[in-house]
Amino acid sequence: MTEPTDPLARELRALGADLPVSEPSATLTAAVMARVAAEPVPARPTRITGWIKAKWRALVSLLTGLVLVAALTPPVRAAVAEWLGFGAVEVRTSTGAPPTTTQPPPTAGGGLTVEQARSMVDFDVVVPTELGPPSGIEVSADRVVVSMSWTNGPVRLDQVGARLAPYFVKTVWDQIKFTTVRGGEALWLEGPHRVVVQSPDGTQRDEPARLAGNTLIWQAGGVTLRLEGDLDRARAVEIAESGNH
Amino acid sequence: MARVRAGDAGAYGDLVRRHAGTALRAAVFLGAGADAEDVVQESLVKAYRALGGFRDGAPFRPWLLRIVANETRNLRRSASRRGATEAASVLPEPVSDPELSVEARARRAELLTALEALPESYRRVVTCRYLLELDERETATVLGWPRGTVKSRLSRALRRLRVSLEPVDAGSEAHD
Repeated sequence: MTEPTDPLARELRALGADLPVSEPSATLTAAVMARVAAEPVPARPTRITGWIKAKWRALVSLLTGLVLVAALTPPVRAAVAEWLGFGAVEVRTSTGAPPTTTQPPPTAGGGLTVEQARSMVDFDVVVPTELGPPSGIEVSADRVVVSMSWTNGPVRLDQVGARLAPYFVKTVWDQIKFTTVRGGEALWLEGPHRVVVQSPDGTQRDEPARLAGNTLIWQAGGVTLRLEGDLDRARAVEIAESGNH
Repeated sequence: MARVRAGDAGAYGDLVRRHAGTALRAAVFLGAGADAEDVVQESLVKAYRALGGFRDGAPFRPWLLRIVANETRNLRRSASRRGATEAASVLPEPVSDPELSVEARARRAELLTALEALPESYRRVVTCRYLLELDERETATVLGWPRGTVKSRLSRALRRLRVSLEPVDAGSEAHD
């Protein structure tokens, strides 16, 4: 810490106090509140680990020997509240009729090699061996996401480094299931759900929201991974666990 | 914060009223110029959207100022992409205080010029730490840097300021 008696520091503080800044206009608060009224209430995420510890462990003893997968029963779903924070992904539940059609995941078209992608981001990039070499690898412009595609399926894998706030916001209707990948908690979203991309400061990207198909979400060493494609849960987990973590 | 998450929209109004002044000051000092109020409005809406992910017990102000700092930076970048001449000055002119001696006023102008001439990251850290009077931890949050980086850049920035101010210390108010 710079010593508070530093004369230059004192001068700079005095300069700051002398620079004129007008008061915020009277309409600012009203303008903000009018815009905010159109937004959903920013509910607290239910941390999945805490939730599992609190509500799930009791059930686990009953389910020993069984795969740790279950659909949420309605009372439990109510406990999960409006949304669930899971690494870089936020899952919001929505009522109403779910959409019925999905599109195949967009193809990662980049011609990067795994090594190039690894050198561009500051987290460990995983490559599942189960699917063979990816047909395309790309890194987002902000170097936050590494995406890979495989043409057989097609299957897409997105890997997101540690975030302060969610990166993908997904809206699901009825289909959150819990599963595990290498013993860690994972989410399985079955059927169409809506995906938008959000930056740490809350900006949601302009690119159109799209409807995604079956998706497995898990975490490894601070990285959040989402695997999307025409897969069933068992196959998705198998692919996820084949990654060289 | 808990009240906002519980759906009490009015509670966010209280937060807005409490922090809008500081946010505006930060936007102006970081170079938002005439767009400062728009920057603050945008930042407050974004802060609301991201509030769900906000850690309980963490202070709201530095987190809001971080959004303001990012918004201001984006604004300046897109302005310079559009070919706007790099704003002649980032900081506003100080109010002229008739109490101040000619020397003191000259010194203040020198300081302002030296500050403007600093590389961007140095100017940002000095602005946060001294002009906005944030502490080291808050500065780290606002700029999104580790605390060690704040400390080292700040001391380098001060060293550079001292160097560029030295001739003034040695001589007198030779120039107007």
